[in-house]
Amino acid sequence: MSFSEIPRTGPKTGRKPEPERGAAPRPKGTTGTTGPAGEPRPTAEAAILRSARFRSEREEDWQRLDALVARVERRGPRSLDFGEARTMATLYRQAATSLSVARAISLDRALLSYLEALVTRAYLAVYAPQEGLGGALWRFLASSASQAMRGLWPFMLAGLATMMLGGLTGWLLFLENEAWYDVLVPRGPDDVRGPEATREELLSVIYDGGGSTLDELSAFAAFLFSNNARIAIFAFALGAFACLPTFILIFYQGLFIGCFVALHVDRGVGLDLFGWLSIHGVTELGAIVVAAGAGYAVGFGVLFPGREHRRTAMARMARPAVKAAIVAALMLFAAAVLEGFGRQLIQDTTTRIVIGWGIGGLWLLWWLAAGRRA
Amino acid sequence: MSRDGWWARRKARREARRAASAQNRREMPQRVHEVIPPEGVPLSLTIASMGARFGAQLFDLLLTGLASVALVIAIALLVDASWNLIGGLLALLFFFVRAPYYVATELIYGGRTPGKRLMRLRVISADGRSLATYAVVLRNLMKEAEVFVPGTLLLIVSAQDPVSAILMLSWIVIVLAIPLCNKRRQRLGDIIARTIVVEEPQALLMPELAERQKARFSFQPHHLDHYGAYELQTLERVLRAATEWRGKSAQIRRDNTLAVIVGKIRARTDYVEPVAEADHLAFLEDFYAAQRQHLEARQLMGERRADKHHRTAAEASQPDKERS
Repeated sequence: MSFSEIPRTGPKTGRKPEPERGAAPRPKGTTGTTGPAGEPRPTAEAAILRSARFRSEREEDWQRLDALVARVERRGPRSLDFGEARTMATLYRQAATSLSVARAISLDRALLSYLEALVTRAYLAVYAPQEGLGGALWRFLASSASQAMRGLWPFMLAGLATMMLGGLTGWLLFLENEAWYDVLVPRGPDDVRGPEATREELLSVIYDGGGSTLDELSAFAAFLFSNNARIAIFAFALGAFACLPTFILIFYQGLFIGCFVALHVDRGVGLDLFGWLSIHGVTELGAIVVAAGAGYAVGFGVLFPGREHRRTAMARMARPAVKAAIVAALMLFAAAVLEGFGRQLIQDTTTRIVIGWGIGGLWLLWWLAAGRRA
Repeated sequence: MSRDGWWARRKARREARRAASAQNRREMPQRVHEVIPPEGVPLSLTIASMGARFGAQLFDLLLTGLASVALVIAIALLVDASWNLIGGLLALLFFFVRAPYYVATELIYGGRTPGKRLMRLRVISADGRSLATYAVVLRNLMKEAEVFVPGTLLLIVSAQDPVSAILMLSWIVIVLAIPLCNKRRQRLGDIIARTIVVEEPQALLMPELAERQKARFSFQPHHLDHYGAYELQTLERVLRAATEWRGKSAQIRRDNTLAVIVGKIRARTDYVEPVAEADHLAFLEDFYAAQRQHLEARQLMGERRADKHHRTAAEASQPDKERS
């Protein structure tokens, strides 16, 4: 339907003579050759300026562009059909040329500022983000997130290694002296788990009965502002400071887990703890590792910029790192759901282990398989 | 910091400003960001003021805040919940409504949240290319890390832990001060995502002033050699305003202004013929057309006259050229 518009625009504007090229020198002499006294003498058609003619020839196209751009601004680019969108792009390029010419030949301030504003608006409309919301989301899930994760694998391994190093250190410290537990593990006032705890007390925490739904919801809400989520956020955000804060945070987290596990193993409830931790811990600790890996990647850009500016290198590394951070956020959310509901509904150790590691395997499958080009 | 006192520095700055061409002084807006689109025509955009951005932010927060309060009320009506839970849920839902809200609206409306649309602001990419999805996500995630998450934590921990509360507070203050300290008013997220918040340009096509078919006054080249583009465009501003003045006293003031301008032009250009008072506007319009034609012709020949000092400026630059 709107194809009828295209040929009308194209040739019409194309045929227009460019003023520099086509126009003969203006008959300025008519104004210049008045009598010696400068007698006021009416000068007729010649008074039309070159720049005024330039404007009058193109004004109609500018106004058409103006109308199209106004529609895009109000109702979005989807309010244009194919032909109109193409017309807008063509008119935009013509208006940009007009602006360029007008800057060279015209001194009309109103015209210059109008054209500049019009071209800028059209530029913003033509070069607006071209991806819809659904498209962006799908692309992230289907390919770009897992590609980023694969690209950052050395940093992810470094994050994992840091945490395991911390865990090992914590374990050895606990074996050396149980008092380290009180130093390393933060405890709430009514937390029975500690160096003085018995096997039964530990088991009672691991297999506590299901509370009401409200308690679960409450735990869910509390979780998101809990220790682990905060550590993940800061491990990523502080990575830019040359990796060091990330290392300290994750190492400390590892210490804490190592101590915690060593206590349970020492009391002979290692397998039960493994199940209890597995169901959400695989996802949750995985999220911390991923966030730490992302933080390391950003810090690596700062530390080793190569031939680039540190700022540029950091921005380049931040690109996949942000995707990894979003993956970590998704994992934290999943872990919150698992912790809030799964941990209390499922009391059997084998099921806990299967679900926890199964979900962990799914994450890994996503990162390794999605978005590979055939 | 130099030690010679703010008064001396201010004086020096004033001198420098006076030395700058009048054109620049009047025409350049305060903060301008120039983008070069792929078409290669430089475009200048005005950087959004902090006030406008604050207003937009306030509107967006109000919108998302109301939405999450409504959700929490709905939940509280469905299940009977404790106040503690409601508080936690509110903080949680506010986050889950707010974070996607900014990303989604900026993607849908081409860099504009509803608040920004209201304040006529827009996020653009600093390099002149189209705003990438990645940049939108990054700048809005950074917004969470900059202000909202520390703010929420501040509300939660302030009672128990004064040290971390002070830390959070100083972090927020520093982060909020960053846009005030850089020329392009970028916050941390803008710097990392390489985006800038600008004002949307408004385009209004004014009528052509030099389109008069019959000129009643004519001017010699020697009449037209005195002024430059700055004076021409000032005259243009006066003429455009002259048609808009309404009311008796405004008419009188306008006539007085026009009379003064006509007198100045005639004195400077040695225009000897008398101009009747009724013809002042017509005289100025004809002078504008003739002067513009003259200057535009000069400009086509490669001689740009910025203002009435163009002759002294040309003479001043001459010896430099000889020396070098």
